[in-house]
Amino acid sequence: MQYTYLTEDIRQKIDKYLNTFPVKEQVIIQALHLIYSKYRDIELPHMEELSNYIQVPLNQIEGIVHFYDMFRVKRNARHHIRVCKNLPCHIMGCKKLLELFEKLTNEKANEESKHGRFYIETVECIGACSVAPAFMIDDDLYDGTKITEEKLNEILSKYT
Amino acid sequence: MKYYPNIPDLNANSSINLLLKRAKENRTVGIEEYETTGGYSALRKALTRFKPEDIVIMVEESTLRGRGGAGFPTGRKWRFALANPKPRYLICNADESEPGTFKDRIIIERDPHLLIEGMIISGYALGAELGFIYIRGEYPAGAMILEDAIEDARKKGYLGKNILGTDFSFDILVYRGAGAYICGEETALIESLEGKRGHPRLRPPYPANEGLFGRPTVVNNVETLANIPIIVTYENYYMNIGPAGYYGPKLFPISGKVKKPGVYESTMDITLRELIDMAGGMRDGKKFKAVFAGSLGIYSEKELDVPMDYSPKGFGGTGTTIVLDEDDCIIDSLIVVAEFFEHESCGKCTPCRVGTYELLNILKKFQEGTATEQDIKYLEHLCENIPVGSICGLGYSAPNAVRDALKKFRDEFYMHIEKKCPAGVCFKS
Ligand SMILES: Cc1cc2nc3c(=O)[nH]c(=O)nc-3n(C[C@H](O)[C@H](O)[C@H](O)COP(=O)(O)O)c2cc1C
Ligand code: SF4
Ligand code: FES
Repeated sequence: MQYTYLTEDIRQKIDKYLNTFPVKEQVIIQALHLIYSKYRDIELPHMEELSNYIQVPLNQIEGIVHFYDMFRVKRNARHHIRVCKNLPCHIMGCKKLLELFEKLTNEKANEESKHGRFYIETVECIGACSVAPAFMIDDDLYDGTKITEEKLNEILSKYT
Repeated sequence: MKYYPNIPDLNANSSINLLLKRAKENRTVGIEEYETTGGYSALRKALTRFKPEDIVIMVEESTLRGRGGAGFPTGRKWRFALANPKPRYLICNADESEPGTFKDRIIIERDPHLLIEGMIISGYALGAELGFIYIRGEYPAGAMILEDAIEDARKKGYLGKNILGTDFSFDILVYRGAGAYICGEETALIESLEGKRGHPRLRPPYPANEGLFGRPTVVNNVETLANIPIIVTYENYYMNIGPAGYYGPKLFPISGKVKKPGVYESTMDITLRELIDMAGGMRDGKKFKAVFAGSLGIYSEKELDVPMDYSPKGFGGTGTTIVLDEDDCIIDSLIVVAEFFEHESCGKCTPCRVGTYELLNILKKFQEGTATEQDIKYLEHLCENIPVGSICGLGYSAPNAVRDALKKFRDEFYMHIEKKCPAGVCFKS
């Protein structure tokens, strides 16, 4: 089979997982992370290629994608903003932060991206409550305690 | 150069310097620095001077209790697994998703070898050859740091075949979760680690009997395992750390309306009031209102002298302390917590799936001003019944905060029926 989405690099990493984990089912979630990091959305063709490559039934992979929040959501954006809304962030002003994100990116939280650059998602505690309201952009975690419009713009400009 | 994700300074403090000995600054301690500051000497000592059984006895005598929430005695848990034949597995629970909890990541990101050393010694005591670290998907930097550290430990002969020239072999694999709180529950975690959806299993059998791949398995929290090198290093002196029966260091993640939120390390002979003082006290001169202890429940001002230990009346759990002040509304906060449980219920048990949804909807009526006295009764009914038909800790603990609030802040429910919010959060329009 020709692989369009499972690039050489991704396949190499998957091979490494296949060689280290006792059973191949353990590779599914780890491989989905590789796909998620590269494409930011997990779609049927990705799952079909993965199913074919590691020889695990497609419905098993689909079941996993639908169960786990990080894989289920359709984002349609190159960058994924996560704004925490759990209690510590809630009482430290995450609503204002969220509004600021919506304004600066011209996107609506938890809605598929219109412009393809940013997807904003409100999430449960991301384990950074001492810098509440905390947020992540892709894999980066940020301190939201002293955030201003200017600072946030500067941070966003790093994600093109 | 490898790219590492950004991690801001989450603020960690300690006066006893055990778990946080190397972790007070926001950087990752590498293997060389770890070794020159005493690291891996506990492992050397364990493998050369003690039999696995000696380590198990040491852990039993240490009174160490699990730091993942349930507070179960670690030595006893190990015994259960040891009663079953090999192969056995060790799993480190690094799913850390309890709201308000950010202590394990401090160890993972700043002093990863402390956890790794703890796992190797535990693996030795348990007769396990393979360990897994299940780390939540939202800690990508932590996963990278652990993988690098494990690789470094392998190169130095602390992991792999014939560790330090003995006949003990052990390795660790890092496994990332993908955004499901329920996967922190140990049987759901095992399902997820086997490459499935993370639904909790019916117990018994317990993981100590039939866990990963049906084999005897010990699941321990990061902070629990990080205590193991300290126990082996200190031996009997460990029993000088903290109060009788609750020996050893504890991490307390404190957030909300305190001056200096962060992770504080202390012995367990402090009170909640003292912990809040450690974190600088209340910010902006505001009046204390309540502490939400993760998913365990709520403490009011009257209870500030509760000991932060694992005694029946103690604070227990993960040590999670979310501080609210006079500007925060209990009802509004309960709604945030209820949304969390409603979202994270895996849906397997009807009382949990439907009950968490109902709980949220009734609470919202109080915020919208459409609640009646009947709704207070209904909330009480839900609090009583959700745990009854649930099979895992999520269902047991989902009503905790509401139940406590109905006892300790009951007047706020009545005030909201009258469309009044003492904190001025609701009914603003
Ligand atoms: C819904 C739920 C979520 C949990 N999340 C975690 C977690 O993120 N980390 C953790 O260590 N334990 C968590 N636990 C507790 C684990 O089931 C288990 O008791 C713990 O990992 C055992 O380790 P310990 O004995 O060292 O505390 C959770 C329990 C429940 C019911
Ligand atoms: S109690 Fe709730 S979270 Fe636990 S298994 Fe049942 S439905 Fe799932
Ligand atoms: S509640 Fe937002 S990071 Fe913990």
